[in-house]
Amino acid sequence: MRWTPQRRRRLLRSVLHSRRLLANHPRRTLLSISGLLIGVATVTVMASVGAGAERRVLERVRAMGTDLLVVSAATAPTIAGRIRQSATLTTLRAGDAAAIAEQARNARAAAAVLNWQGLARWEGRNLRVAISATTPAGLSIRNMRPARGRLFDDAEDRELRRVAVLGPTAARSLFGDVDPVGRELRLGGVPVDVVGVLRARGTDAGGTDLDNVVVIPLETGRRRLLNIPYVHAIYVQASSSRHLDALEAEVREVMAARHSARSGLPDPFIIQNQAVLLRTERGTARAMNQLIVGTGTLALVIGGIGILAVMLVSVRERVREIGLRRAVGARRGDIRLQFLLESALLATAGGAAGVVAGFTVAGFAALIGPWDLVLSWQAAVAGLICSTVVGLAVGVIPADRAARLLPAEALRAT
Amino acid sequence: MSRGAEFETGDLVIEAERLSRSYRKGAILTPVLLDVSFRVGAGEFVAIMGRSGSGKSTLLNILGFLDRPDGGSYRFGGADLSHADDDTLSAVRNGRIGLIFQQFHLLERATALQNVMLPLVYTDDGSDDGAARAERALEAVGLAHRGHHLPGELSGGEQQRVATARALINEPALILADEPTGNLDAGSAGEILDILRKLSGAGRTIVLVTHDRDVARRADRILLLNDGRISDADPA
Repeated sequence: MRWTPQRRRRLLRSVLHSRRLLANHPRRTLLSISGLLIGVATVTVMASVGAGAERRVLERVRAMGTDLLVVSAATAPTIAGRIRQSATLTTLRAGDAAAIAEQARNARAAAAVLNWQGLARWEGRNLRVAISATTPAGLSIRNMRPARGRLFDDAEDRELRRVAVLGPTAARSLFGDVDPVGRELRLGGVPVDVVGVLRARGTDAGGTDLDNVVVIPLETGRRRLLNIPYVHAIYVQASSSRHLDALEAEVREVMAARHSARSGLPDPFIIQNQAVLLRTERGTARAMNQLIVGTGTLALVIGGIGILAVMLVSVRERVREIGLRRAVGARRGDIRLQFLLESALLATAGGAAGVVAGFTVAGFAALIGPWDLVLSWQAAVAGLICSTVVGLAVGVIPADRAARLLPAEALRAT
Repeated sequence: MSRGAEFETGDLVIEAERLSRSYRKGAILTPVLLDVSFRVGAGEFVAIMGRSGSGKSTLLNILGFLDRPDGGSYRFGGADLSHADDDTLSAVRNGRIGLIFQQFHLLERATALQNVMLPLVYTDDGSDDGAARAERALEAVGLAHRGHHLPGELSGGEQQRVATARALINEPALILADEPTGNLDAGSAGEILDILRKLSGAGRTIVLVTHDRDVARRADRILLLNDGRISDADPA
């Protein structure tokens, strides 16, 4: 078939004509596209929410660093398949961190940490903050650097000095416009001197303000504030994220030796490997994507069947109209093209409405749920293209049926 | 120059020779047209008259290339199109023949103007003045002011006038009207016949089928169709 200007003009006229016909039957049009609309909307919501959830986990993992192991204490091995943790575990010691730093070849640094929530007070102002006690190595692992003043050093940690560095939010909330460096605030009942203010780190993927924090030396926190013999966790930084798995094995060995793990019993500690989390997350994302593709295919098939049914009814209802069109000069090809275009336009409209509905629902879901709003344009474009293709595919049978009608008989139809 | 002047006086627009057509229903073959032969010259206004079931509509469908005869030959404007393909016949229906039906056959949700423009959707000439042409066609049937009304808002007579304008939009040489006044009151029927009469006066060839002798009398010549056979009748 040659693609002459006449044919192009005819096609354009047919498109406009089909669009007007569909607009003239709003209820039927809406009914026929509802299947595709709901299907594409579902896929768009799933893809958007999935992408949001994936981004959140990835951000959390990346915020912690992909070169990091977190060692924490374990108690009862598993309950209902999940490892149980509680704050009262007492098996981890600051010495474990030192041993790991010394013995694990792939460790760049290791630091024990204590984390808890507490009250900070200055001149009658109270502020609930995250208190973190760690060593200077811990500050470095967690990428904490001073914006004003300085950080504390190993000597201050060893000597249980009452010094603190503040996150910018904590500094602003407690001190307002006053420079906190050199001032004395109270953590619980203990006075500490502010020696520095940290650079802003923003919020984590969960929306928690990472800057509403007071950081003090590990030993100061452990002995002066909490008066406990153990630490909550040990952060171990790998020399490179490529060596994380090797590092995990080394850390396990060091810890097993120090905590006299017996064979047959689970380790009395757990090691969180950020790389494993990342891998798991990627695997989950892949599975989610497969699910979305599966759901999408199903939705397109169901939506396609809906359009096919409506188009077949439409051909039957419009036999006389088809006869009239043939009488005024429509060729078989024109009739075929018209019904194909109607089917494709219907499907595309359904897909487009589905994308809009899906984005709207995903937006609301992000407002009320623990997800980020990530509008998946790839899903939207794929949904639209697939809808059009489905429309063309299911339009073939009705279009052919319409084109085969004999004009004289079609005009006589009642 | 109007397309209606495609043929000059004395030219034969329709030459039907021994046309036959039967319909099969199950095992029974019912003949509808038997050896129908007649000619219509350019500019003639011919009425084919017959009782219900006499084969009038079948004959008109064959003349309008909506159906093909089983036997015999039909030359349109001197050309034998009995072996022409569907696309060629569609193009002839689109540009050279205007059809008017008893049931009007208007698209209910399209305005009068849009209905009149329908044949242009299938016209290849590429002119973009469709709306202006449709307005002129509506003007020719006295409905210039009703172009934006839907068929449901028009009287039967007005609807048939819209259908007539639709038949005229491509300025065809031949107009075929199948009981155009069958669904109309006497007043409206008279208006439609006046329009056809005027078109005939302007040189267009018109073939009208009817069962109504009063309608047939408005034509120049009457052919009688009786049990599938045709014969001349005196218009008086």
